[in-house]
Amino acid sequence: MSASPLLDLVGINSYYGPVQVHFDVSISVPEGKIVCLLGGNASGKSTAMKAILGLLTPRSGRVTFMGEDITGLPPPQIVRRGIASVPEARRLFPAMTVRENLMMGAYLRRDTESVAKDLTELLDRFPRLGERLTQRAGTLSGGEQQMVAMARALMSRPRLICMDEPTMGLSPLFVDRVLELIGDINRSGVSVFMVEQNASQALSIADSGYVLQTGRIVLSGAASALLSDPQIRHAYLGKTAA
Amino acid sequence: MGPWFDYTVNGLVVGNIYALLAVGLALIFGVANLINFAHGSVFTVGAYLGWTALHYLHTPLPVTILLVAAGSAVVGVAIERFALRPLNHRSRIAPLLATIGVSLVLDQAVQLIFSPDPRALPSQLPDWRLPIGGVTIGALDLLIAGVGLTSAALLFGFLRFSKLGWAVRATAQDPDAASQMGVDTNRINAVVFAIASALGGVGGLLVGMFYNSIDTTMSFDATLKGMVAMLLGGLGNVPGAIAGGLILGLAESYGIALFGTSYRNLFAFALLILILMVAPNGLFSRRRELPPEPMTGTFVAPSRPLRLPRPALAAIVVVAALFPLVWNQPYVLQTLTNALLMALLAFSLTLVSGTVGQISLGHAGLLAIGGYASGLLALDHGWPFVASVPAAGLSTAILGTLMVLPALRMTGHYVAIATLGVGEIVSLVILNWTGLTRGPMGLSGIPIPAIGPIELDTPRALYWVVLVLVVLLGLLQVRLLSSHLGRTWRAIREDEVAARAYGVEPLRYKAMAFAFGGFGAGIAGAIAAHLYSYINHETFNTQLSILAITVVILGGLGNVLGAVLGAVLLVALPEIFRAAAEYRMLIYGIALLLLIRYRPQGLLGTI
Repeated sequence: MSASPLLDLVGINSYYGPVQVHFDVSISVPEGKIVCLLGGNASGKSTAMKAILGLLTPRSGRVTFMGEDITGLPPPQIVRRGIASVPEARRLFPAMTVRENLMMGAYLRRDTESVAKDLTELLDRFPRLGERLTQRAGTLSGGEQQMVAMARALMSRPRLICMDEPTMGLSPLFVDRVLELIGDINRSGVSVFMVEQNASQALSIADSGYVLQTGRIVLSGAASALLSDPQIRHAYLGKTAA
Repeated sequence: MGPWFDYTVNGLVVGNIYALLAVGLALIFGVANLINFAHGSVFTVGAYLGWTALHYLHTPLPVTILLVAAGSAVVGVAIERFALRPLNHRSRIAPLLATIGVSLVLDQAVQLIFSPDPRALPSQLPDWRLPIGGVTIGALDLLIAGVGLTSAALLFGFLRFSKLGWAVRATAQDPDAASQMGVDTNRINAVVFAIASALGGVGGLLVGMFYNSIDTTMSFDATLKGMVAMLLGGLGNVPGAIAGGLILGLAESYGIALFGTSYRNLFAFALLILILMVAPNGLFSRRRELPPEPMTGTFVAPSRPLRLPRPALAAIVVVAALFPLVWNQPYVLQTLTNALLMALLAFSLTLVSGTVGQISLGHAGLLAIGGYASGLLALDHGWPFVASVPAAGLSTAILGTLMVLPALRMTGHYVAIATLGVGEIVSLVILNWTGLTRGPMGLSGIPIPAIGPIELDTPRALYWVVLVLVVLLGLLQVRLLSSHLGRTWRAIREDEVAARAYGVEPLRYKAMAFAFGGFGAGIAGAIAAHLYSYINHETFNTQLSILAITVVILGGLGNVLGAVLGAVLLVALPEIFRAAAEYRMLIYGIALLLLIRYRPQGLLGTI
């Protein structure tokens, strides 16, 4: 990692009121890679996501994106710089149609024509959504909603997509499909930062990973190394250390 | 045909105005999750803007409408920016109370600028009527229907087909997710306030033209009607609000035809309570789509209340008791007596809204029940003061509790709306039940208070009697708060679900709070009635309820001593500086706004 990474969290300390959630958390997402952040419940994974997206300002530490300090910027400013998000539990706009949801992803874009072109391309990629365009997003199945959430994020033409537990609550079939899609998205040139509880599956597509435990990074490294790490295997993969 | 056709046309025309109001309220509720009590004030501002434009600039009608829309939109944006946005991260009841403050300020400002006298607002339209099978429709009727339809169509197009409209809907459905799409939700709020206020202001102009008269008391009625219409359609449901407005307009029109004009508002409020009870999500929601509202009753984190040591409290009581001996000026003592009566009402409200967390906006209704009960017992049945007052307290406790019973199941906003409705219904029943209450004539010649043969005819004696009551009821309430009962009440306020999980039956405890509070408030109303010797259905109005809530917030929610302090400061001080009399509502409004923003825990802290 010689060149400066696309996204860099350096020495983040965040709090909810008096409670400290992060202790000196540092995470790097290099350009073009998939990085996953693993951890159990209440480890501070989702809060890390919030710190990146501007939904929470850390008390100390820095978030930089493409070399620019974005700590504490409001969410719209962060989206404008090229970070899109697939929020936890998808958070579609349930009473709006699929098409309107997708168009919300392109909210900040002014290039109307290429937005229309991107939409057509996306629908080729997610043919299922084409059939559902005029349906209310709230009426879709969980897997379909996840597709919409990912397509919506792509509509902003991001450099980085942050995904909060993209496989949560999906049927095993859809889990594989979603992981496959994340790989596709990454290969098309978009970097991915994902927060997951499902360690083995996340690591299977990631380049590198971090493990967060009660607010501290306790382990990090290449995905393949983490997958074979006895600690990980014990704590997250439910297998006893060899 | 014939008259019923006229009632229908009339109902639809008025219904269109209600729809304009309701749509704005629904839009605002959608994105800001807030019932905007200042909406009716914007409506009034719109009417007066129109009057100003016509009177001074002689603008043609289309220009007037545009001017009113633009001016009202500016007012709306200002409300959002300066009164509400600073409260963004507070619990939802804080902005609701702030809009009440804004409405007091706007109403009083309009009154100061234009005087309270009604003004004519000629319609400018040709006096031309379209005959349809024996009846006619006027040009103004068509204009109002046209404005209603056009704005509904424009609004539909905006929300459905424009990017900004999508952002409005997205913000209403999930503000966090919307901001992650790059939507500046503050800006969306401002846009929505602008649109809603423009519609409301134009509604005010049209109503002024319809009745050819505008005055500064239109606000409250407009807010209420808009609110009822919105609730009919379902909180935050824009198309539902249009239908709700038309339904309300027709219901009122037919109701007046059948029963007479003084029943007009009674219909609206009865409809309100009925909707809240049987279909709180409105007539058009297929199922319970709304997420359960989080607790909105507590709007302040518990603070550390100021606790006076007992000797200091005793000293205050002694000073208060000796005060008339030192300064025996009737006017000052009467003012202080009024403040102490307000303190009695505030005890009741601070218990219900502070300790139990049920914001009540109709508390003056309890005073009315107490006042009428004691007054009628004394006048019609010759009961002595010492008997009629406690009887009034008891009847208020019983009647008041029965009346709010349907509201006790509700949470958050619904409680505030329902209690407001109940307060209004009390006053309207008093107005219409002529056989019992003498209707609009009111009760006159209520005997002066007397204990046995001793008439309490001096301001000093009355002051002492009320002071004794304040001390006794205050001590009782403090005692209750530290008892098992008090803890249970606070538990319900903090987390009703958790309280229920520990076996607390919230309904019963809420009812007990209203009963205890009703008793004190009934006594206060009874004494006030004997003190004033004349009361009518407007003596204890919603303005008084709003003042009471301001008093309670000023003192600190749940704080008994704070209730006394708040009452003395807000009732006695403005009275003593009499020059400020016409600015009084303005002062109350500003006080309320500043308190919610800078010191929500009140002067003495919440308990």
